[in-house]
Amino acid sequence: MHTLSQTEPTGRHNPFMKSISLLRDWNWLLALSVVLTALTLYMAFVWAPTEANQGAIQRSIYIHVPVAWVSMMAMVALAVFSIIYLRTGRARWDRLSAATAETGLVFGALMLLTGVIWARPVWGVWWTGEAKLTTALILFFIYVAYLMFRTYFPPGAQRQRLAAVIALIGAIDTPIIYWAANLWAEAHPPVIIGPARDTESAVGPEIGITMLVGAVSFFVLFLYIVVQRYRTRCAEDEVMELNRHVGATQAAGA
Amino acid sequence: MIRATLLAVLAGAMLLAGTAGASAQTGGLVSGAVTGVERNDAGELTAFSIVDETGATHRFQVGADTEYGLENQAGDRWTAKHSAEPVEAARRLEDNQRRFAPVTVSASGGEALSVVQKESGRLETNLGYLFAVFAVTWAAFFAYIFVVSRRQRDLDRQIAQLKATLEEDS
Repeated sequence: MHTLSQTEPTGRHNPFMKSISLLRDWNWLLALSVVLTALTLYMAFVWAPTEANQGAIQRSIYIHVPVAWVSMMAMVALAVFSIIYLRTGRARWDRLSAATAETGLVFGALMLLTGVIWARPVWGVWWTGEAKLTTALILFFIYVAYLMFRTYFPPGAQRQRLAAVIALIGAIDTPIIYWAANLWAEAHPPVIIGPARDTESAVGPEIGITMLVGAVSFFVLFLYIVVQRYRTRCAEDEVMELNRHVGATQAAGA
Repeated sequence: MIRATLLAVLAGAMLLAGTAGASAQTGGLVSGAVTGVERNDAGELTAFSIVDETGATHRFQVGADTEYGLENQAGDRWTAKHSAEPVEAARRLEDNQRRFAPVTVSASGGEALSVVQKESGRLETNLGYLFAVFAVTWAAFFAYIFVVSRRQRDLDRQIAQLKATLEEDS
């Protein structure tokens, strides 16, 4: 499985083979993410206007909102991978689920952290108990619970099945976060994108486009990290397997 | 090596953008005390002028889409679009003029896009928070990618060693 990461020794000095190897190593995703991030930063700080009500801190939107979108999307992807695992029973979907959950946790933590930092100067408090914040915190805890379960439950098919069920239950939180600002109008502005979009809450075109470019940039970064974590999971499984073989061979030799 | 180069490029881009952002964050904004309010025959606001901290006077036309976010003496915030309450907008700005309460105007081509109560020192204070948002995010991603890459390298080494051991044993 880990052969995704292996390079071709025979093609080390061949530029074409090096390019192929780069593509196969998925580093092109990181390169694309770097380019998109640089573009996002330029658009956020130079192209998009300064918002009059909040001033400079409003530029946090180009980090906080895309990171939050990716975090929620990761939970949906985790649920989809879990369904596929439950239907097929193939280990690769379970590994992909674990990689997605771990990456989703990183994005979820950053969603909360950047939100807390942004809330202090704008709302005057680090945290309030409003609906969107609370449901976002629940999403973070769902990721934590999912990964803790995977860590502490004995390995095997039962763990993988139960983890998939936890992911499915956890995914229920995602639409609640999306609609929270519309359902319980509190500090967060109403939804600005998707089926529940509130036209009164629409942002200007420069801010909207910059936010979307930021979202694509973070999505590509998310994909890159998931691929890397998937490779690591494959390698961990291979190490376990090889250790078993080595143990069996040495026992047979003795 | 490639990964490290890409990460270095990203860090450089962040620094450049941060520098650009620091100089661009006041662009298009003017803050100052209201010095004049112009109304039409119906009493609706048509234009106003402010004087900034350098003593320069700026005159702004208002349009249907101009947005207001102004506070009274008690600190209650009034928000509206010009098209909805043009008379009240004039009254609020005159109130600001009487109280010498400064406003911040974002404008384009001489027309005010938004007129809000100026909150002194807030933009400068906000820069620290803005820096924190970007720094925390990218530091976390760099650290996480670094940890995952190192783990992958360790595992590749272990796999190679175990395969060698297996070959020797067999």
